[in-house]
Amino acid sequence: MKAVFRASAPVLVIALGACGSDPAPEPTEQIVVREPGQDGSDAAAAAPAEEATDSLVAAGKAAFNTCVACHVVDDSGINRIGPNLYGVIGRAAGSVDGFKYSDAMTSSGITWTKEELDNYLANPAAKVPGTTMMAGAISDAGRREAIIAYIEDASAN
Amino acid sequence: MADTKTSEAAPKKGKWTRRAFIGAGVVAGGALVVGVAVRPGNPIDRLSPMLAKGKGEQLINAWVKIDADNIVTAIIPHVEMGQGIFTSLAQMLADELDADWSKVKILEAPADAKYVSHDIGREFLAPSLEVPAILEPTVGGTFLQLATAMNLQITGGSFSIRGTGQRAMRVAGAAAKEMLIAAAAEDWKVPAGELRAENSMIIHDKSSKSAPFADFAAAAAEQGLPNKPKLKSPKDYKLMGKTIARTDIPEKSNGAAIFGIDADLPGMKYAAVKAAPVVGATVESINADTAKTMPGVLQILNMGDFIAVVADGYWQAEQALGTIEAKYSKTEGDALDQDALFARYATMLDEAGDKDGDVETEEGDVGEAFASAATKVEAEYKVPFLAHATMEPMNCTAWVRDGKCDVWSGHQAPLMARKAAADTLGIDMDDVTYHNAYLGGGFGRRSETDVIIMATRIAKAAKYPVKMIWSREEDTMQDHYRPSATSRFQGGLDKDGKAVSWSNIHTHLFDPQEAPTVPYYNIANHKIRKIDVPTHLRFGPWRSVDHSQHGYFIESFVDEMAHAAGKDGYAFRRELLAGSARHLKVLDKAAEMAGWDKPLPEGHGRGIAFVPSFGTIVAEVAEVDMTGKKPKVKKIYVAADPGFAVNPDGFAAQMESSIAYGLTATLYGEISVKDGAVQQSNFHDYPILRINEMPEVEVEIINGDHKRLGGAGEPGLPPLAPAVTNAIFAATGNRVRELPLSKVNFA
Repeated sequence: MKAVFRASAPVLVIALGACGSDPAPEPTEQIVVREPGQDGSDAAAAAPAEEATDSLVAAGKAAFNTCVACHVVDDSGINRIGPNLYGVIGRAAGSVDGFKYSDAMTSSGITWTKEELDNYLANPAAKVPGTTMMAGAISDAGRREAIIAYIEDASAN
Repeated sequence: MADTKTSEAAPKKGKWTRRAFIGAGVVAGGALVVGVAVRPGNPIDRLSPMLAKGKGEQLINAWVKIDADNIVTAIIPHVEMGQGIFTSLAQMLADELDADWSKVKILEAPADAKYVSHDIGREFLAPSLEVPAILEPTVGGTFLQLATAMNLQITGGSFSIRGTGQRAMRVAGAAAKEMLIAAAAEDWKVPAGELRAENSMIIHDKSSKSAPFADFAAAAAEQGLPNKPKLKSPKDYKLMGKTIARTDIPEKSNGAAIFGIDADLPGMKYAAVKAAPVVGATVESINADTAKTMPGVLQILNMGDFIAVVADGYWQAEQALGTIEAKYSKTEGDALDQDALFARYATMLDEAGDKDGDVETEEGDVGEAFASAATKVEAEYKVPFLAHATMEPMNCTAWVRDGKCDVWSGHQAPLMARKAAADTLGIDMDDVTYHNAYLGGGFGRRSETDVIIMATRIAKAAKYPVKMIWSREEDTMQDHYRPSATSRFQGGLDKDGKAVSWSNIHTHLFDPQEAPTVPYYNIANHKIRKIDVPTHLRFGPWRSVDHSQHGYFIESFVDEMAHAAGKDGYAFRRELLAGSARHLKVLDKAAEMAGWDKPLPEGHGRGIAFVPSFGTIVAEVAEVDMTGKKPKVKKIYVAADPGFAVNPDGFAAQMESSIAYGLTATLYGEISVKDGAVQQSNFHDYPILRINEMPEVEVEIINGDHKRLGGAGEPGLPPLAPAVTNAIFAATGNRVRELPLSKVNFA
């Protein structure tokens, strides 16, 4: 007996769904807290900074969002996917207790000055070939500067 | 409100812009369709200014475009959701056109009525028409109208290659080639019969003249469209049947690919949503006191059937949504638990007894044959609801302004999505522009329009662009589920162990109609009935649709009959398939690959299952290790006959992914209901197969009939579950009659 192949999967659904319909109902309750651009975070972001460094740190804090999946900057001693960056400036590379670094990082001989960090963040794999930091290359020099300023500021708290 | 003053709808990313180019052009007026594209007298000149906008570009027909640099663009009327269809359909077009593959580009067709999947309606309504009939104007026109009415620009039903590929892309490629040759013949003043095409060049061997397609593109468009362009026979295929690397892989590997969730607009805000947990209930009231004070929150909406929070960021919206307390209306569904639902199925099946229910197929006299059978076999099987769990969360971005609407998503039926947005707003479809992107998994889930409607409603209320993203919890709890089902069988064997009767009654929920039937098995008396059981949950197509349940039911029961007959499962199926050489060849191939007769280690078992679906015949043999506490599926052998595999590696990949998806369901998949609401919420309680659980898969393809192609996306799935459970039986004697396996204690 020969198989008979008929309707393809979703045809019936569509046939049923093809009938016209009235416009969908309006919200039964609409609470407008604010319109975009008013108050709230947009305003906060646009607020004039008290001084230049603060705005750089604030920009760095925002830019650090790229990093937060793997790094924290606090004195908790907790490492995540990447090492805790608290006090990283001035520290020898590969020296946070309890974090399993790549051999490449441990034997890099780097001491993390701001310049070295800037260098590294521009292209981690080029600076330390074999590093396990797969993400995080930041091509924009201004963002690197801001991130480093934020790390320095957060380490001072 | 500075953001919303921007009148330019084109988002930032490159791919969207490219889509906007073609979309904007075509949506304004209309284009050609399959079948009509190759009919004489079609208004091709109406189309070319809309599609061929680039300098020196000339439209050949709605499916192919050739530019001044001799680049051939295949316009694909289906969506790419990981199945590789862009590449395979372009292969079919380019092969018939004799195009240089290195100069072929791919463009997704716009969501326009003139790109409807004309053939899908045709196949549905008159399956017996043969391929060339598509060129017959009256029939084509009739089905075109039906298909247009049904908004069938859809990717599903494992249909793209066997429908659009065979009947549109190939025909369009062949037609374009004939038109180019005709134009060259005029220009060179030689008979068309002396010309041929190769690697995007027209060649005249006698005079050693050759020139690129591009030189004749403009003149070709002036040619009459060939009524019946000549299609190649398999011996002349240059691209079809060859493994060609998928064009979408590089961008999906390096992260450049744009999915629906990547939509990015100036001034766009984010919405998180939560629907009433019991489908059908309404949100009576909300307490948003905390949410109102939370950072980033712009709006809190009680939409009646769901709650939405719009905020500057998605996380802010999701966090605020979590603080909202809501009261929901009572519904009849509130009382329903999973056990009660299966009890309802059982009661209704009991009431149907031997006679009631809708008869789907009947042949011979089952009652008489079963009554007089030497051996009687009876069994009942159950499967649960299943969610789709697409990798990319459900999402849709919409912008409603000035009586018009733009919608961005990844949808299996772009035209349906466009219509859904139009209907939601009560505006004309011409005022909706729908932008489709890659789908991060479809599986049928993205053929529903619920997310499109919800996002459009939110965007209408907000008046600025809003991207709505469902949480994984929302996706798991508010899916359109693969239905749960119960199926009962009675089978009769004569004194020689030959199957003489097959009777089946099952709870009915969906499609395709042939899923519960077994016409390929030679059983003289058979009767299959269905009963409809209402539930409040929403059902939707799930990869392989009803074949996912019935493949398991049927192939489990065939195995039980084999066992009752004292026969081997493979040998018993061979008897039932004796009259069908093509089916038998597939079964034999799977058994041969698996070394069916070779002994396995103690505690290991081998099971076979055979399910033709979506035009492709598939047999699978599973090897399962039962020496541990739970089944370990070691290896799956797949033999498949899709007629002709256009891209063998792509076809094999679909078999493998069907096994990953099907094994997830077999081992773990269960959506259950308590107090009317779905109990599962995320991957911790709705797990997905892990890489260490993936069996080795071996695929062999049989090209059994190049004229009638089958699908690839779904047919690999239905035989998987029964092959595994039949293997468990072989190893342990434990017959699994209810899925998933995680519910069974094998200790």
